[in-house]
Amino acid sequence: MNLVKTVLVALALALMHPLWAAETGTALKADEIKAEPFRDAGTVATLSAGDKVEILKKDGGWLRVKSASGSGWVRMLSIRKGAARKGSGEAAGLLGVASGRAGTGKVVATTGVRGLNEEELKSAKFDESELKLAESYATGRPEAQKFAAQGKLAARKFDYLPDAE
Amino acid sequence: MKTMTKWLLATGFALACGAAWSFDFEQELKKTLKENVQQQGAAKSGNAPANVWSGLAGTSQEDEIAIGRQISGNLLGASHLVKDARLQKYVNNVGRWVASQSERPDLPWHFGVIESNDINAFAAPGGYVFVTRGLYRQLQNEAELAGVLAHEIGHVIRQHHLKILKQSQLLDLGGKLLAKQIGGNDKAQKLIGSGAEVVARSLDKNAEFEADRIGVVLSARAGYDAFALPEVLQKIGHFAKDDGSVALLFKTHPHPDDRLNKLGLAMNDRFDSVKGQSLASRYYRIKP
Repeated sequence: MNLVKTVLVALALALMHPLWAAETGTALKADEIKAEPFRDAGTVATLSAGDKVEILKKDGGWLRVKSASGSGWVRMLSIRKGAARKGSGEAAGLLGVASGRAGTGKVVATTGVRGLNEEELKSAKFDESELKLAESYATGRPEAQKFAAQGKLAARKFDYLPDAE
Repeated sequence: MKTMTKWLLATGFALACGAAWSFDFEQELKKTLKENVQQQGAAKSGNAPANVWSGLAGTSQEDEIAIGRQISGNLLGASHLVKDARLQKYVNNVGRWVASQSERPDLPWHFGVIESNDINAFAAPGGYVFVTRGLYRQLQNEAELAGVLAHEIGHVIRQHHLKILKQSQLLDLGGKLLAKQIGGNDKAQKLIGSGAEVVARSLDKNAEFEADRIGVVLSARAGYDAFALPEVLQKIGHFAKDDGSVALLFKTHPHPDDRLNKLGLAMNDRFDSVKGQSLASRYYRIKP
């Protein structure tokens, strides 16, 4: 019981510490490490799928990384944060966290909190008052525009992306 | 009227689940639809079913909203809103701004954070979008929230869930009823034209990939960092497949790594020089 408590406390602490501190990542595919965060920049080194990197910094679509083969900038879409993809055979949930597998600690404690599973969704009953409450928070378009302006968000034009295949 | 309500409710359950694109839900939906057709047939023997279905065949925006509203009410029955008015207002502000960049800016958009530590988000027709508390807490800035909402907005504007409904209808009803339904309805005609192929597509993951691509573009249009949604996918990809909090998400979506790969191919270098805001300082943090 004490162990569970300790794990929960550790989890809580881990959750309060979610930022960039020595974040690790894994290359999703082979890619080049560039000297600068630009496509035309010189290639410093290459990454193979599965290579581990340390993520130092982010700049738009680029991550500054340190890897065994060299340091520099790599496309963020070539990297996944955390260790390699886990198979389903591994210990999950609290056990996984306790063994330090969770790395950056971005795991939500499921203990004692109900999940939203299929059964629950299937047996859900219409809740009119909750729905009305939800609808009462609606934001109108002009209001949204004001909110955007406060955050210095300016609308820009972009075409939708075609499917790459 | 009572039967209609019941039918809507039942459809709502199934669709709310369908909102997460699961195969099981799909089965459930079909079953429900079938049962209701039989009930309707027994009740009025004759033309009644055609009326019931006509609302879905060439769904008007009004119907779309009514269906989405029903689904949302059911979803909220399973998981209440997080009781934090400032949070809910904030999410509506961000969501409405992003939705304003879409081709359906004037839908009555509604956004909410619901009480569940699962990591997931749901969309229902007509502009209803919900994010779980668990997912919200994973996010670190407003751009990431915008990215997640934009993905769901993508499902709404492309009517992915309505399409599932229509397809299930086509699967389960006999030719007679369909013929009646088609009468001058181009949309239904088109659906039938591609027949079984459409049905197969409804269960594949292209709708999710499409919503990801839309999510990135809407975020960028709204002035946010276009790479925020990929960043959320990076984070989620980090969870073990058998972690309970992502069980439903992983069951109903392609793995985040696959989504990142597809998104990377589609984005290519188009956004490399595009800077956007993250607005970490404005991100509304919820108490644990």
